[in-house]
Amino acid sequence: MNRKLMMTCVALVVALALGVTAAIAGTVRGGSDPGITDNSILLGGTAPLTGPASQYASVARGAEAYFKYLNATKGGINGRKITYKYADDAYNPAQSVPVTRQLVEQDKVFAIFNSLGTAHNVAVRPYLNAMKVPQLFVASGATTWGRDYAQYPYTIGFQPSYQAEGWVYGKYLSRTAPGAKVAVLFQNDDYGKDLLGGLKRGLQRSKVKVIAAQPYEVTSPDVASQIAKLKASGADTLAIFATPTFAIQAFQFANKLGWKPKHVINNAVASASTSMQIASSAGQNKLVNGTISIQFLKDPTDPKWKNDPAMKLYRTIMKKFAPSANVADPLHVYGMAAAWTASDALKKAGKDLTRESLRKTLDTFTATGNPFMLPGIAVKTAGKDHYPVEQMLLQKWQNNSWNSFGGLWGYRAS
Amino acid sequence: MAAFFQQVVSGLASGGIYGALALAIVLIHRATGVINFAQGEMAMFSTYIAWTLTTNHGFSYWPAFAVTLLVSFLGGVGIHRAVIRPVERGPQIRVVIITIGLLLLLNGLAFWIWSGEVRAVPSPFPAGTIDIGGVAISWSDIGTIAVCLTSVLVLSAFFRFTKVGLAMRAAAVNPSEARLVGVRVSSMLGLGWGLAAMLGAIAGMLTAPNVFLDPNMMQAVLIYAFAAALLGGIDSPIGAVVGGLILGVGLNLLGTYVDFVGSDLKLPAALLVILGVLLLRPAGLFGKTVVKKV
Repeated sequence: MNRKLMMTCVALVVALALGVTAAIAGTVRGGSDPGITDNSILLGGTAPLTGPASQYASVARGAEAYFKYLNATKGGINGRKITYKYADDAYNPAQSVPVTRQLVEQDKVFAIFNSLGTAHNVAVRPYLNAMKVPQLFVASGATTWGRDYAQYPYTIGFQPSYQAEGWVYGKYLSRTAPGAKVAVLFQNDDYGKDLLGGLKRGLQRSKVKVIAAQPYEVTSPDVASQIAKLKASGADTLAIFATPTFAIQAFQFANKLGWKPKHVINNAVASASTSMQIASSAGQNKLVNGTISIQFLKDPTDPKWKNDPAMKLYRTIMKKFAPSANVADPLHVYGMAAAWTASDALKKAGKDLTRESLRKTLDTFTATGNPFMLPGIAVKTAGKDHYPVEQMLLQKWQNNSWNSFGGLWGYRAS
Repeated sequence: MAAFFQQVVSGLASGGIYGALALAIVLIHRATGVINFAQGEMAMFSTYIAWTLTTNHGFSYWPAFAVTLLVSFLGGVGIHRAVIRPVERGPQIRVVIITIGLLLLLNGLAFWIWSGEVRAVPSPFPAGTIDIGGVAISWSDIGTIAVCLTSVLVLSAFFRFTKVGLAMRAAAVNPSEARLVGVRVSSMLGLGWGLAAMLGAIAGMLTAPNVFLDPNMMQAVLIYAFAAALLGGIDSPIGAVVGGLILGVGLNLLGTYVDFVGSDLKLPAALLVILGVLLLRPAGLFGKTVVKKV
């Protein structure tokens, strides 16, 4: 192979490795609101149906199943049937932008709902706000959705913020393990950094210290080197703020090195029991036992909810409207909880539904009794507080499933 | 000091994996003269076959291993027949672009067939570790490096001492003259693809127990493997493995002891290696500089 071709190949490798970002430009249009008729509402969204985070596609599928159920049994909302059109962005923000524009300009959706990913939603936020298209219940726990509400009033988040989650871990450690030395493995982006920042806030004025923190890139093949470094720091507690594959690797490598940190904290919970089962190597990796995480939804594998009416409904909906999906995947519950809240907001926005009336509804909004969330957790916004879900429970990994314990924790991110 | 050696050991283990995939890249390059961008995805696909055999069809490890190698070999030959051969005689860039298409195709297929869920793949090596002076070395790391070195020895011997190996080299270096002396060039190229797919399968099955199997498992590894192959010399099997090991250890130590590199700049460092090698010593550490008469 000649040198010129080799250089071309190198250029291709670089392009594959880095990806490119796209600029956006928005124009404002007047007129009546698209995507809505007397008997239909069209919602759109982006989801990682392919690519590195395709496990999270279940979030869109769960929501879709719930809307189908609503259309079939209740005739939709205020007589309008909901169509939820989600398109693939391959978890690449550079693709989220054109896909979202297409949904808004060609498919003429009424609102964007439940699009997944932090960078992905940040990338389309200025455009959607300029177009006055509601960006409903962003599937990401970044603090920016609540914090920058004044600047982007059409955008609203959903789940507890990563900062709040980190804070809960910090408080939990400072109460239950004074003197603990914490080592942190975190994903080198807003997601990992928000969690780490929250953890440090929770540990303020306590005897627990973060003595080592190692970042990793989502493009790296493994985290072996980071875990070796964290072990060398002499920490007795390991916090893993990572996506499932890397969290599983972290458990595995720590075990291989013979490291036995006392408390292990992780947030790979979102994608679930299956990852935790793999991490525990069918129970052989004792390190995984006693892992702490947070939850605000009902976990379909938690034996506590076996006879819960909402979870029975969940299983029926899944069976009928998403028969090929894995019912044990909690991300489907996440999607349903978001879809339930969206339906509630659309109902409250009234018969004369417009984008503006929906925005006003969500400006001061309270929805209690979401059947898919843990009892007592409310979705609430008011005044300057634009973090819809701020409460959560701690849960522990025991006997091959998550078990929630203690009372509700709440923290307002800032 | 234990921390230093722990990083070296963990680097050797990652390096072994880069080396194994680099070996497959070198093999295709040597046999057909092109860089196969789909090498990583082919390896991932093979690993899924092994996973399906053990998990869904009740195979035990070694039979599944053997069947996977066979299927991969046939798959490699098949890919060559179906998509590479028609464009082989045109400019090389066409083949390269086809391999990129293959990369996307195989990745999408894997998602479609097996979903993106993370899977655990059994390891053929015992689970424990041995402790030498505070440095934990796992059997699977030792096994990875051993398999890698064995493959390279077998491969070198194959190219050097067998008629088929020689014919493959001839077919790659000078197809028209090879044809004149009776080498069936196209079959040789197909054989190269088959063998590379087999080696890729080995790399994938060694990688998966450590990094866990999902359709994107080999994408990050592929870039390091390219760097390793170039570092060692794109035509040298031994170079590929040595390059992999140097890269694995080097990047780990760089990440540990050079603050601004840390764990975040490892990938750019690998790309820098590619660039540096091409600019300063295009033939790599073990490669021969080729002089062509024009």
